This record gives sequence, structure tokens and C-alpha cells, in this order.
Amino acid sequence: MDESTRDARFHAVPEEAEQALPCADSFAGKASRAFLRRVPIWPVIDFLARKKVPQHKHSFWYTLGSMGLFFLLVQIVTGVLLMIYYSPSQPWSSVQRIVMEIPFGGLIRSIHHWSANLMLLALFVHLFSTFFMKAYRPPRELTWLTGLALLGTTMFLGFSGYLLPWDDLSFFATRVGISELEKMPVLGQWIAGLVRGGPDVTVDTIGRFYPLHVVVLPLLLLSILGVHLFFVQVQGVSEPDSFRALPPEKKKYHKFFTEYLVNEIPIWMALTALLVALSALFPRVLAPEADPGAAAPEGIKPEWYFMVPFQMLKLFPGSLEFLGMALTGLIPVLFLVVPFVDRTVPADRRGQMVARIGIGFLAFLVGMTVWGWMS
Amino acid sequence: MNYPVWDIPFLGAGMVVAIIAIIHVLISHFAVGGGAFLFVAELWSNRQADGERIRTWLHKYATFFLVYTTVFGAMTGVGIWFSIQLASPEGTSLLIHQFVFAWAIEWVMFLGELTLLYLYYYGWKTNSRRLQVWLAGLYFVIAWGSLFVINGILTFMLTPGGWTLENTDIVAGFFNPGYVPSLLIRTLVMFLVAGLGGLLIASLMEGEEDLKERIVQFSSRWVLPAALLLPGLFYWYWTTLPVNTARLMAAGATGLGGGRLEVMTLFAVVTGVAGMLIVLGSLLFQARPRALTFTAALSLFIVAQVGFLGGEFAREMARKPYVIYDTLYSNSLWKHKAAEPGYLRQPYLSLTRWDPDVVPLTPEHGEWAFRLQCASCHTRNGYRGIIPRTASWTALSGFKWLETMDQQGVMPPFVGTAEDRAAISAYVQSLHGKTVTAQAILEQARAEEDAARAKAAKAAEVTP
Repeated sequence: MDESTRDARFHAVPEEAEQALPCADSFAGKASRAFLRRVPIWPVIDFLARKKVPQHKHSFWYTLGSMGLFFLLVQIVTGVLLMIYYSPSQPWSSVQRIVMEIPFGGLIRSIHHWSANLMLLALFVHLFSTFFMKAYRPPRELTWLTGLALLGTTMFLGFSGYLLPWDDLSFFATRVGISELEKMPVLGQWIAGLVRGGPDVTVDTIGRFYPLHVVVLPLLLLSILGVHLFFVQVQGVSEPDSFRALPPEKKKYHKFFTEYLVNEIPIWMALTALLVALSALFPRVLAPEADPGAAAPEGIKPEWYFMVPFQMLKLFPGSLEFLGMALTGLIPVLFLVVPFVDRTVPADRRGQMVARIGIGFLAFLVGMTVWGWMS
Repeated sequence: MNYPVWDIPFLGAGMVVAIIAIIHVLISHFAVGGGAFLFVAELWSNRQADGERIRTWLHKYATFFLVYTTVFGAMTGVGIWFSIQLASPEGTSLLIHQFVFAWAIEWVMFLGELTLLYLYYYGWKTNSRRLQVWLAGLYFVIAWGSLFVINGILTFMLTPGGWTLENTDIVAGFFNPGYVPSLLIRTLVMFLVAGLGGLLIASLMEGEEDLKERIVQFSSRWVLPAALLLPGLFYWYWTTLPVNTARLMAAGATGLGGGRLEVMTLFAVVTGVAGMLIVLGSLLFQARPRALTFTAALSLFIVAQVGFLGGEFAREMARKPYVIYDTLYSNSLWKHKAAEPGYLRQPYLSLTRWDPDVVPLTPEHGEWAFRLQCASCHTRNGYRGIIPRTASWTALSGFKWLETMDQQGVMPPFVGTAEDRAAISAYVQSLHGKTVTAQAILEQARAEEDAARAKAAKAAEVTP
């Protein structure tokens, strides 16, 4: 017994903790008790240890968030490695050095590229699986909204990172992307000028995009992610209506720690293998250095996750452009209002209607993306 | 020399073969290792007090094994034959003619495997326990025999050893330098895949937690021999590779070749990563057997599939630019013919089996020459696409580059006249959306040559 047991400055170890912790004579037992007397977080540990995840036939769709998290970790690790040699003052030649001279540099860069794309793909599927499982309904509106914010932040991370290699493709795609932004009424010109750092994309734009990509947006993403995951922890994983309707004896759960997590690890392993294999099969090429004076190469398109607004603006040329902008702007709004429109559990007629509209909307987004990609 | 090349957009013929083959290779390894698994599990169940429970589970394993290996194995196996004869008729022909007896043995082995598997599976209730053990054991021996045969032919393509076109010493070609390490590697990998199959079927068990625990631990142990011995065996295999190949493979990874990893090195990395992940995964479920779910077991199976992709790709890439090392190039050009004086400078299309009879220097000339000479490796805008690879070409630089394209060590020598090169270069320009005629390229090249000659003559006059 150390002196802390009698001292009022220390906390008492709860009875349940006494039973759950290792034997009080062992080193681990002493250390864990000493820790709990100083930092009384037993309720948190106990809560997490009791956390359960429902097991049902739709369980797979509930791993997509964890896939997104995995890709984020890959992005952080590979991103930090790329930062070691990337230099915003010599963007193209430093990336060329990464690809040509730095051992495994090309591989790391390709993994960063593939992981970014798969992260967005995982998040889009996560968005729609959450949508169709109706997990956005009360009391989880805030989880849904923070999730949308995460997706938006990730898309901007993709946009800001795409310019950094400063090659032909990335330069012209960014120029096209920002000029679409410029068409926004009232604020468009001002915002476009602000992100570009002038009337055209120049090295000053990298000066803006680089800190955005490696500091501002990641910090923002991690903060929102913390809130998002905190909500998920506190509220627990949502149960689809079909599972909720089951009698209690038929409901199966996995304990989050040990059982559930142990099974997430092989999925992460499969994703690791997939990332390395994709990077070997289809390495990210570095196109020739951007030449702002040259004519844009034919068929410049944004990345697939920006294809829908791109295609929408193509559909509404000239004076109708404003309509295209307005319709595109409506897409995030629709997602934002869903949890306030569809609230009943189990789903009522309105809920079924929302699901049907969702299917049509998904088909629209996929269709526009494929169309944009093919044309 | 050439048959009309099978023109597959975006993927290319080789990639089609690769996709079918990679699926097949996982299945075929499972088909051998699974036999050993059935045999050992039969013996194991005989020694357990609750052997019947284990056998009930084993029947599920056998059902999966039968469907997966015979249906999908046969489909993809035949698919390989269909695709390789279209992708490389010359190479396929050479393999058939050299190893006709080996293929015959292989066919008998397959027949034996199928017969024994059907006897084992459909006699599940009627056969005696002893007979089942014998059938499973015999199945494994014969299935491993089919590996023994095919391994000789596969390794021959990369390391033909003492075999040459002249001596046609098939014993030297069959038991070539890569034969033994490759045989051992594949045998251990087979056990590993059989264990992963066990995990997959065990993950579906419901209710019998204690039995699930034992079976998961039994299955994950099959990864152990590979985990311990593969690193050393891969090193041995690497030492048998042609010297240049081995050097190239190591160069990027050791930093000697700068940061540029050879494609085969990248694929070797894929296999290494996959292998380590499988070892970690099997350790994970050795420790927590009851927690295993189907998604997790399937994920490990997918990791194995990706590992096969890496390994087989690395092996195929190591042969570049040959389909039979040092003998036959990937685009069906024979090395000994290329060495004949004057052979390489004949009009290219007249050498092909079906001369498409196009007017020289027309766009059709360029397209046919591209299809027959380049398209066995390069697509237009897909895998190993020619468009990104020629982004910096001008019509004239492409024309010149083709003549010496074999000097980088990864491509075969060019066959054809200056007209052929001009036609191909014009065709490549047309893929970039630029219109240049082959005639114009030739004239430009001639003008440049004349100017150089005149300059040289002038220089000679000044300094006699």
C-alpha cells in the first residue's frame, strides 16, 4: 500500500475495478491501481469494455467506417514520409526525386495516391450504407452531420493534394476546378482569387494548398473525427430495423474489444495487401512538369469524386450555368436535411419513400460519374 | 513468325492470361494442400474422442474443396490454355512440343485426382474410415505429383538450364536450376492455403464454440512451415535467377538503382507483405480462435490471393522480354532468328504468318505493325499503355528510338525496315491525336541524314 490510499488528494479505486484488475501484489496490479488513484477513469474503461456491436447479416456494411479510418492512418504515415522529401518551392522536381531517387519513394507515393482514392470510395459507400440502414435517425443526427463534414473535408484534402506534384495533369485539372468555383454567384470570384493567390494558378497556389493539405485540413479532419467517433462510442452502433425487430434471445452481439476488433484486423490486412498490389500494378505516374503557358491537354477532367459537379456544369452551358450550380449546391443540402425529414423507427411510409429517393439519387451520382469518366 | 495478335483493349492479352492464371494458381495450390489437410484431419479425427463432430465439420470443408477446386479449377485451367495459345502461339507450341510426355502425365494425374476425390467425397457415408484415410492420402500424393510435373515446365520458361533449341535436352530443361526451390516453395504455400481454407470453413460454425476453437487452432498451424522456411527458400530461388534479372530485382530495393524499383521488385514486395500479414493473421486467431468471423477469414484468403498475384507477376516479369528465357521473345520473335544476318532488316509484315497485305506507309501499315510487333506487351491506353510511354516522342525521335529499342535490356530488337519504323511512329503520333504521315517522317529523316553527311564531308575537307 502506498501513501496515496490515505491521502485526500487521491481517488479511491472502485470495487468493480479491484475485481477486474490484475492481482494487487503484481507489478501490473500496483501500477494500474496507482494510475486509477490519480486519474479516475475507471467508468470510461468499464464502458469501453462493455461496448457491444450487433452481429447480423448486414454487419459488413458497418466496417466501412473503420476502413475509412484505416486509409486515413495510411495517408498520415505515407504523407509524413512524402513530406520528408517534398519541397513546395520545387514541387515537380522534388516529386521527381521521390519517384526516381529515393528508395521505395515511388511505391510510397503510389500507396498515398491509391489510399486517397480508396478512402474516398470507402467514405462514399459508408455514407450510403449509413443512409440505407437509416442510422441517421434520432438520436444520431449529429453523428450523421459530422460524418458529412468529414467527407467534405476529405474531398478538399484530395483536391488540395492533387495539385502538389505540379505536373501537367494536376495543374490543368486544378485550374479547371477553381474556375468552376469562380462561377459561383457573388462570392465566387473572391474565393477563387483567395485560394489561387491571384488571377491564375501559380506557385503561390502551392504556397496555399500545401499548408492546407498537410496542416489545416488534417487538423480539422482529426478534430471532427474525434467528435464523430465520440458520438459513436457514446450512442453505440446503430441497429438496422430488421435486427431491432428480433426477439432478445436472437440478437447476437460481439464485444467490441477482443472479438470485434480482432476481426477488423484481417480486413485491414486485406486492404494493406490490396494497396500494395494496386501500387505495383498501376503505379502513379508523374506527368511532365506543368507549363502554365502551354495549352491545356485535351480531355482534362477532375478526379472521379468531383465528376458530378463537373458533369452538371457541362450539362447546363451558357446562361443556364447558374441553374447547374444551384442544382449541384442542392446535393449536400439534401444529405444535410435527411435526419430531420425521416425520423420514425421502424421506418414508416415517409421513411420508405426517402429510401427509394436515395436509390434514385445513388444511381444518378454513379451514372453522372461514369458518364463524365467515359466522355 | 507471327500469328494475328489477339488485340484486347485496355488490358492486353498478357493481362487476360494473368487474371485467369492468378485465380487458377490459388485454386490449384489449394487443390494439392487441401488433400493433405483432408488426410491429416482424417487421422486427427480418428484419434479424438469426439471424432464424429470433427468429421461433420470436415465434410463441409470437403464440399467447399470439391466445388472450389473442380468447378473453378477446371474452368480457369482450361481458360489458361485458351488464353495462352492466343497470347503466345509460338511459346505455347514450343512448350507442347518439348514437354508432350509431361503434359500427358499431367493429364493422367488430373484424371486420377478427380476420380479419387469423387470416390472420397461421394463415399463419405459408405466407405470405411480406413478407406477414407487412404483415399485422401492417395489423392494428395497424386495431386502433388501434378505439381511435380507442372513445376518443371513453369520454371523451365524462366531458367531453361542446360536445354537449348539445338540439344532439346528436356531432362535438363525440366530439372532446371529453379526447379527444386520452386517445388519446395509451392509445397509449403499449398499447406498454408489449405489452412486458410480451414479457417474459412471454421468461421461459419455456429454454437459449437469449443470445437471451433480446436479447429481454428488446428487450421492456423498449417501456416507455420511456410512462415518459418519461405524466407530462406525465396532467397535460394532468387540465387537461381538469371544474373541480370537477379541484379535488376535487387537494384531498386538496395538503393543501387536509385529509388526506381523494377516492376518485378514491386511485385516481390507485394508477396512479402502478404506473407507477413498471413502469418500475423494466423497468430491472431491462434490466440483468439473463437472470435473468428467469415469476413475476417475471407480477408485472409484475399490476402493470400494478392500474395499469389505478387509472386506470379514477379516471376513472369523476371522473364522480360522473353516468354522462354533467352530463346523466344514475348512478341514471338525467335532469338536465334534475330541473330541471323539481315533478318531484322526485312520488311516486317512479309515475315508474319498472315500478311495483312496493306499498302506500305499507310496508317493501316502502322496499325498492323503495331498490333503484331508491339501489342503482345503494350496496350494503347491501358496496362503498359503506349500513349503515356510515348508522351515525349516526336515523330522523328520515335522513328529513331525504335531502331535501338533493345539496348535498354527490357525490349526485344526491332524487326523491320525504315518504312516499318516510320509507319509505327506515325501510328503512335495518331494515338496522340496528331496527324503525321509515315512518308513525311522518312523524308525528314533522310533530310537530316543528308545534312549530317554534308557537314561531315565539309569537316573532312577542312582537315584533310
